[in-house]
Formats: sequence, C-alpha cells, structure tokens
Amino acid sequence: MSFLEVNDLHVEFPTSDGLVKAVDGVTFAIERGETLAIVGESGSGKTVTNLALMGLLSKRAARISGSAVIKRGDEDVELIDLADEEMRQIRGKNVAMIFQDPMSSLHPYYSIGDQIIEAHQVHNDVDERVSKARAIELLDMVGIPDASERIKAFPHQFSGGMRQRVMIAMALVNSPELLIADEPTTALDVTVQAQILKLLRELQEELKMAIILITHDLGVVAGAADRVNVMYAGKIVESAPVRDLYANPLMPYTHGLLASIPRMDRRAGESGKRLSAIAGQPPSLIALPAGCAFVPRCTFSNRVSGGASRCESSMPALTEHVPGHFARCHLEGASL
Amino acid sequence: MFKTTTGSSRRGRRAFSGVVALSLLTGVLVSCSSSSGGAGGTLTFLTNAESWTHADPNRNYTGQHIAWFGSFMHRTLTAYARAEGAAGSEVVADLATDTGRASNGNKTWEFTLRDGAKFEDGSDITCEDIKYGVSRTFATDVITDGPAYALSMLDIPKAADGSSVYKGPYKTDGNDTAAYDKAVTCSEDNKTITFNLSRAVGDFNYTVTYLSFSPVPKAKDTGDQYDLAPVSSGPYKIEKYKPKDEMVLVRNENWSKDSDPIRNAYPDKIVVRFGVAEEVRDQLILNDSEPAAMSLDGILPTNLATIFNEDGTPKEEWKGRALNVYDPYVTYTAVNVGKVPCVQVRKAIYYARDFAALQQLGGGAAFGGDPADGVIKPLMGLDYKPVTGLEDFKPEGNAEKAQALMAEAKTACPDVFAKATGAGLTFDVGDTDTNKKAATIWIDSVKKNAGINLKFNFIEPGQYYAVVLDPTKQGDLSRAGWAPDWANASTVIPELFLEGAGFPLSNVGKDPAYAEFKQRAEANLSQSDRKKQGEEWAALNQYVMDQMWVIPGVFSKTQEMWGSKLEGVFFWEPQGAPSFGDIKIKS
Amino acid sequence: MINYLARRIAISMAILLAVSFAVYLIFAILPFDPAALTCGKNCNNPAIIEANRRRLGYDLPIWQQYFVFLKGLFMGRTFGEGAATIFCPAPSFGYSYQEHACVTNSIIEALPVTLSLAIGALVLWLIIGVGLGILAARFRGRAADTGSTIFVLIGTSLPTFLTGLLLLVFVVVKWRILPYPSGNYTPLFENPLAWLNTMILPWITLAFAYAALYTRFVRNAVIETLSEDFIRTARAKGLSEKVVLRKHTLRAALAPLTTMAGLDFAGLLGGAILTEAVFNLPGLGRLSLGAVIDFDLPIIVATTILAATIVIFMNLLVDILYAFIDPRVRVAA
Repeated sequence: MSFLEVNDLHVEFPTSDGLVKAVDGVTFAIERGETLAIVGESGSGKTVTNLALMGLLSKRAARISGSAVIKRGDEDVELIDLADEEMRQIRGKNVAMIFQDPMSSLHPYYSIGDQIIEAHQVHNDVDERVSKARAIELLDMVGIPDASERIKAFPHQFSGGMRQRVMIAMALVNSPELLIADEPTTALDVTVQAQILKLLRELQEELKMAIILITHDLGVVAGAADRVNVMYAGKIVESAPVRDLYANPLMPYTHGLLASIPRMDRRAGESGKRLSAIAGQPPSLIALPAGCAFVPRCTFSNRVSGGASRCESSMPALTEHVPGHFARCHLEGASL
Repeated sequence: MFKTTTGSSRRGRRAFSGVVALSLLTGVLVSCSSSSGGAGGTLTFLTNAESWTHADPNRNYTGQHIAWFGSFMHRTLTAYARAEGAAGSEVVADLATDTGRASNGNKTWEFTLRDGAKFEDGSDITCEDIKYGVSRTFATDVITDGPAYALSMLDIPKAADGSSVYKGPYKTDGNDTAAYDKAVTCSEDNKTITFNLSRAVGDFNYTVTYLSFSPVPKAKDTGDQYDLAPVSSGPYKIEKYKPKDEMVLVRNENWSKDSDPIRNAYPDKIVVRFGVAEEVRDQLILNDSEPAAMSLDGILPTNLATIFNEDGTPKEEWKGRALNVYDPYVTYTAVNVGKVPCVQVRKAIYYARDFAALQQLGGGAAFGGDPADGVIKPLMGLDYKPVTGLEDFKPEGNAEKAQALMAEAKTACPDVFAKATGAGLTFDVGDTDTNKKAATIWIDSVKKNAGINLKFNFIEPGQYYAVVLDPTKQGDLSRAGWAPDWANASTVIPELFLEGAGFPLSNVGKDPAYAEFKQRAEANLSQSDRKKQGEEWAALNQYVMDQMWVIPGVFSKTQEMWGSKLEGVFFWEPQGAPSFGDIKIKS
Repeated sequence: MINYLARRIAISMAILLAVSFAVYLIFAILPFDPAALTCGKNCNNPAIIEANRRRLGYDLPIWQQYFVFLKGLFMGRTFGEGAATIFCPAPSFGYSYQEHACVTNSIIEALPVTLSLAIGALVLWLIIGVGLGILAARFRGRAADTGSTIFVLIGTSLPTFLTGLLLLVFVVVKWRILPYPSGNYTPLFENPLAWLNTMILPWITLAFAYAALYTRFVRNAVIETLSEDFIRTARAKGLSEKVVLRKHTLRAALAPLTTMAGLDFAGLLGGAILTEAVFNLPGLGRLSLGAVIDFDLPIIVATTILAATIVIFMNLLVDILYAFIDPRVRVAA
C-alpha cells in the first residue's frame, strides 16, 4: 500500500443556489519521495481536494465523503472524519503545506522567527531555544543569508522569493513526510520560480518526503513532478507520468493546457502555432451535465465516434489507455 | 416685562413670568400665611435648568425667581402681600416701615427702614446698602438682565449717546458718581432713603418691589461673581450653591421674625436640584418619590392628562397637589402698523386665522389658554372690560368676514392689498418646532379665508427680540407676549403702543389714530383716581383693538404640581408663581 | 521617532492656532450681535447695547479681539474694574459671564467629569463589544450570532437620550434600585462609591450604543480575518483553534479597533452632550452646549480648541500605538 491513498473523495458545498460538487470522486495515490502534480484551472477542485485531506474545510460548510489513508509510522490513519485534535497533530507534523502568496500567508504582525518557532513548538515539547536553533537551521537550509539575524525580521521586510523560502522553512521545521505545495510559485517571477522549484526538488531528495504540487501551470510541472493528475470540474480527467503526458496528451483539455504554455523553443509565428488559451469558461459546479463537463469547450468532440452527443450524454470513465496513462475521454488514443 | 413665544433658553434666561393686577373677579380675599406650627423639614425643588438665571438680587427679573428669592433670601423696601387672589397684589411694607411717602408731585419718594433688619453676617441693613444695590443696576455690562427702572426713572442726566452719565459703582474714570449721589440720598441716621425721579411715578412703591431695589453690602460685592454668593437679608442663607448641581439654603440665624412681618420660614432647609431631566423631574413627583418636592418648571404636556381632567381641573387624587391657573401673560401677534397701514387687512388676518387649530397646538383651552380679546387680561379687574366689535370671531376662521374686509381694503388701501395678496406679508417668529407647526396653520388658513400670503421668517430664539425690536430688521408681523410689570395696565397699554416705550413692536407712530391714543394714554398715566384710570385703560384697550394694532392670541395658563407632603401652596398672582414662602411640610 | 514626534506636535500647534482663529472668524461672520446678548431684557434700549459693546470690547476689529485672546493665553487677563475686577491667570481663555467663572477653571472642572464618563464607558463597551463580536463571529449563523444581531439593532437604533431616560425613570424613579440623585457628580477621590453610583447609568447608556457598533465591527473584522491566508497557514501548522483565534486572528482583527476606539474616545471627550444632559453631569458636553445656546464666545472658543486638541492628540496616540501593534507601520514612521 502507498504512503497516501485517496479513494473516491467527494466534497460538496450546500449553498442557497444548489449543491456545489467541488470534488467528485477523486482517486489517487502517492509514495514517499515522489512528487505528484495536480493541475487544473481555478475551480477545478485541486485545492479543495488537499484542504479536505488536511481537514481545513469548515465542517459546517462542506460535506466530505470517501477515504484518504496515510501511513503514520506503522499505522494507517484515515484522514476523512478524523477527530479535530488528532488531525491537528498530523497537520504541520506529518503533512505540511505551503501556499500561493507568501506575503498574505505569513502573519504580518509576527517576526518570521516567531512564526517558525511557533510551528516547531506546537509539535515538540522542547525549550524555545531549541526551536529557535531549529528555525535558524531551516532558514539556512532554504537559503536565507544571515539567518540568525534575519530571524528577527518581519515578512514585509523580505522579497517574494525569500518569503516563499521562509514558508518552506516553516513547513519543513517538523520534517513532514508529505508536503502539499499549493501554487507555490504563482506569485513569483520566472527566475525566482525556477529557484524555488529547484529548492523543493533538492529538499525532497534530502528529506525523502512526498510532495503534492498543486498548480494551474503545466509549465512548472515539467521538471518538478514525477506524475501528473489533471483535474477538471472536480474530476481527474487525465493521470500519467510527466513525460508521457507531455509527449502524448490523451484528453483535449490537457492538450489545451499544453498549448497554452509559452515555450522557449517555439517562436511565435515560426511553427505556425500561436500561443493559445482554451476558449470558454469552466462549467458551474452546480448542476453539472450528465456527460463530459468539458464538451462545451472541446474542439475534438466531433471526432468522437458517435459525435458530440455521445460526450454530452455519457460520462467517459477514467480508462488506462497506455500502461500508467489514464484518461477520461471517448476519443480513441493518439488521435490528438 | 415680556414673554417670548420662542421658547426659553437653557437656564430659562428668557423664560418669563410676571405680575398681575388686583382681581375683582375672585372677589373673596383669602388670608394665608398664618403663623401656626408646621415648621421643620427639608423642602426640595426640582428643575431642569442648570442654575438660577440669577441669584444676585439686582439681576433678577422673572416673576418666579423674584417670588422664590423674595420669599427666602432677598428683602426689598416693599413687597406684595402673601395672599391668594386679589389680596396678593396689595403692596405692603417690607424693609420699610410703610409703603413709601411721595412728594414733589410723585417725583420724590421716601422710605424709612425698620429697626433690627440684618444681613446674614449680623450687620444692620442700612440706607447705604440699598443705595449701593440700586447703584449696581447702572453697571449694565456687569449687572446684566435686571430691570432698568432705576436707570430710566432716577433723575440722572444722560450723556450725548443716550446712556446715563453714571455708570455704576465699578467704573473708576469718567463716571459721574455725584449725579447718582444727588438722585439717591440717605438721611443722617442712615435709616431713610430718598429717590429723586426725573418724572412723576405715582406707583413707585410698586416699582421698588423688584429685587433690583434690594440691599447689597458694598464690602461683599464681587461684581459678576456676586451672582454665585449673594448675601442674604431674608430668613435663609446659602450653604451651598453649585450651578449644574444643587443649591442648599439653611436658616439665617440673624434674621428675626420681629423685623419681618411678611415672611414665614417653615422648613429648616431648602434644596434646589438643578439639571433634572424633564421626564425624570415629572416622574419623581408623579410617583411621589420625593413627597416634599415641587417642580419649578411646570409639567410636560404628555403628563398633563395624568393629573388633570379634560376640562383642566385636577383629578380627585391630585386635588391639593396641582394647580392649573391663568399666568400673567397675553400672547399676541404685533402688526407692524407702519408697514401694514390698513386696518381692513389687519382685521382680515384676525378673522381669517384658524384660531382653533393654533389654540389646540398650544395645549388647548384647558391648558394653553382661552382666546384673548385684547392685551389686558380679565385678571386685571380694574382695567379690564370685554372688548366689543369682535362678535364675528369664529375659532376656526370666518372666511366671509375676512373676504368682506379684503374687498373693502382693495379700494381703501390698494397698496397694502396688493402686497398682502401678492408678494405677501413677512411674519417673524422664533425658530422652534412649535412655531414651525403654527406657521403652516397660519399660512393655510389666512390664504384660504382671506387670500393673504404669509412668509415666515424663523429667527434664532436667543436673538429673536434683538431682531424684532430693531425697526430696520422687523417684518410685517411679529409674535410676542406680554405681562404687566405690576398691577396696573400702565405697564401694558403705554409700554406696548407709545412711541419710545418699552416694547413698541406695533410701531403705531404714523397711524392716523395714534395722535388721539397718545394724548389719552399720557393723560391717563398721571390720573390719580385709580378707578377712573382703570376705566380709561379698558377703553384704550378697546381703542387698540378697533385699530387691530395687535392680533390677540390667548390669555395663557400655567400648571404646577408638587409632592404629597407639601401644604399651604397657592398661586401668588402678582408674581405669577406659587407662593414658595408659604409652603409647609406635613409632619 | 523623536524627530517625528516633534514635527507632529509642531504641526498640531499650527492647526490649533488656525482652529481658534477660525472660530473667531465664524462668529464674526454669523449674524449674531454679542453685545445684544449682554443686556437680557433691557435690549430694547440701544444705548445699553452700545455701551456694553464698547465696555466689553466687541467694537474692536475681529483680529484685535483675537490678539487680545492670544495675549491672555500667555499672560493672563483682567476683566472688569473696581470691585467687579476679575483676573484670570494664564492660560486664560477668557471670562464667562454665563458661568461666572474664568473659562479655564470651568474647563478644569468639567474635564474630570467627562473623563470619568468617557473612560468608564470605553472600558465597558470594549469589553461588551469585543466579547460579543468575537462570540458572534466564532458562532456565525448560530444563536449567539442572532442574539448579537438583535443587540446591535437595538443598540444602534435607540438614541442615547432615550436609553438614558428609560434607565433613569425605571432604575431610579420607579424601581428605586439606585438612589436619587444619580445625577449630580461626585469626584472619584471624594467618595468612590458615590462616584460609581453617579456614573454607572451614564456608562451603561453610552456603552450600550457604542457596544452595538463595536460588536458589529468586531464580528465583521474577525470573520474577515478568519478568511485570511495567514490564518490558513496557522491552522496548517497544527495550531489549535484557540491559539488561532487568540493569537493570530484577534491581533490582526482588533488592530483597526485601536483607531476607532481612539477617535470615538476623543469624540466623547469633546462631550457626550445628550448623556451628560440626561444625567445632569456637569461635563464638557453640557458646557459647550450651554455656551452655544447662550452664545458664550469664550467658552465656545475654549471647548472648540480643547476638542481639536483632544482629537489631534488622540490621533497621535493612535498612530504611536499602531506602530507597536503593526510592524509594517513602524518602519514607515
């Protein structure tokens, strides 16, 4: 059994407009030392999936069902419906998170040292000096120069990239086995993005942790992840090792995402292909159609045997087209 | 003395009360002020005001305050008899041994002081003390608000700018003290004071009932600050006086009943609580939480129904604890005759106005007052006679009569007619909520019944009289009220209508009917037969109404209430206030 | 910081000077005649008005009157002559013929009353407002939240004079829970119990209205802060809800409250006019209200300057406090 196994996870939000199915039957697994990327547009359910795992969704607002089992030492722990206190002990200890905007994710009123020490103290019954030494060690590790001085500084005194390094240091202070990085580079400029991704990769090697990398940008996935889950409207629509996905996307949505990545080796106009975003908007998560949710935006549905009406009426299953490469599409493989 | 219809200020600075004439209507003389037991206890007064307008005797003007301080602290040469009804308007000797001796054709008045009258420090009250007190009223910038009788009556020359050459005891240079010393003299033994007047004043002994003729010991005078610590000449002295908090009076050990035939001093202690919220003040009395307390400010309109029947009489359980009586005032709208020289238009307004609605707004007949037929109240028995010629008056307005008068006006005085029906007449009132409501009644009814347009000019209440008394700023009509200064219409008819008098809002000098009025009014001022004088005042009241120099409002009423342990309260007509000095606490 | 403070104080002084002159100017422009108010019922005699105008200096040009005022501030000022002489020592804001006192003394007497009222009410409404606000935010949509909403509705719609009057009539007059007079002010150090007895109802009255506003404000601020990213971070660290709420949420949510409370407090020091009037508290509010009604220029000028001083000072204090709370402001200052 894998380090983390998520099985048929559903997250629904009852609202006055109707039931929002944010996550609709998601199943995946991740091993230690592996990086799994979850890719999708905003609203596709990638962040909600992980908040559900961490128990960070309001129990009054969200209905969660399914299973998510994590290994904790020798025991298997079911995260869904775990008691608050037990969940709290896992959060930040076994599973840590970093977020998109490092400025707003750090508390503006406390020094970064205080915030990292607090993260350490909450899970370790040690003297504060020990926690402080650990904080300096981590800041050093993530490449903050002059860490023992900078520990007194406040978040607003750091650049964006440095703040994200602080966030990473804080997340790693308790040596978690799983790090969930939710859009960790989105708010950063391109060169800093690369540095942070490189740092995460290095730290993963060193600490042998699993990483779930949540992003809307397939571009950052290429060099950072082992496997990619593409999500759309609450469902995984394609899942493959990163190389396979790039070489041979099986789902028109993935195809569209790939086409929207700016690439150094393709100059506009030269190859005849222009940088293209996927036309249309993601569907409303209330009253989803019976069939494939991507149909209204799909430019390939007419090639499906049985035509677009088949896509509209029946939801394709997540099928293994090539060993290890799953896709949820009525199109025959390799026809893209 | 005049009353605003514009609402009183914070401390009742411009809240008024007054003096009313001998009333023959009541007929029966009720003697009160018996000297039987019932002494002791603490008498409490509740008021919303932050402090007394003035505690300095020379600065007191309102009837209620004169009644209060006159009962407890400040003595004068003469005073009104402490009696209910008409008997209260009789002048009796107070510090003086008699009610004064006139000579020189009423231009010289002499009063001799009693033996044994003392200030609270035990020193004798002398002629010099009264002379000094009167002198202070000449310092008009320091001793403000008091009546200016001494200033206008004493035989002291005027400077070029019209002000007196004597400017009071504080001014050091350019002050003609000798002129004052000539006008007011003390006898060798410091017992007899003589006032030399610039004109004949037949009732000067009424004038000196005002506390502006009270004694003040020169050594204790602190100018403006004396208002906080006046020295007592009466049965009580100040133990504590803190504006916005309270005043406590205790017995003045140096006062003796032997030298003061008119004051009772029943309670041991008198407390005034200032700044009590109006509703709280009423509730304290209504719930009888303070059974030995009396309200100094009347009653909130919303609470009247609790105490009185619809006809204005006290309910059974309130008999002996509440009063609903005529106060000394007559309200009216002065017509600026110089600007509205057309008797038909003036009368048309009188007939057109919806009096019933205005009366209702003012508290109705039971509490607000009854329709007035002139400027003299029936309480002034000698001087009142019902006015005739107003038989077509209808409370809700008489359109037919008003329109007939306007038809006459169209030919008789086309200019005024054109103005009244065109651009309209301006109407000055104080800027209060009640006046705003009244304005709509006036505008609608006068337009509907007479076709006259009215334009209201709302004036900041504190500035109201300063504006309307300035002929350059006054409009065509102005709201006002008046109470006689003492029991003689000589303080009403001439004051309101003679040119250069005290309160000449109607500006009648240029009216063709003025010459006859002036001749008769001036002649009547020196009439020595009081009965004949009264008949002539009544006739002149009729004359004024024939010309419609004012549009009469109401003969107004006032209400009072007090706790269950108080007795001996009656309405002291000359002061238009309860007889504070006769209140006893039941044991 | 010292430089910054010195600069702020210098600017404040300039503002105060401007404020005081503006008040003089306003009253010079208004269609009021101060001399016509010095003669009471004798104002039908123009000679008296004119004489008083000259004796009281109202005939001088406005800038000269203002200069005399400024001089008095530093040198003290003598009023009247002969036995009526009064000297008001520096800083003299003049002499009030309505209060029969040097204005500075009137202010010094009124200030502790208003301070007592404002501080007590502030403490009370902060406790209630912050407490209820947090409770409502924490239990959003549940009974506690509904209850607080009702409280907010009543508190914000009931005018203070009505609250005060109801309290007085019922608590003091009808039920006699507290003795009358609950009004007349007793200083704290003279008789603490009597002081408390005087102040408790006014505090409740004022706190009732403000607590409602603060409950609403705190509820919304806490709910807003709870949705902040750094709160998600705190939870992701494995902190308990208690720590998340107390340490992370409240500090951020209540920081803006410092400004609000500071300025509301300053406003109250300027005078809680209605509350002071209902409860007969001789504070600054009643002093200035009376002065406006009576056109008592020296008191109006003094209370206006005092109110401006308080607002300016409280602003400065709030800014300094804020720097302690929010490190981002610290660097900028």
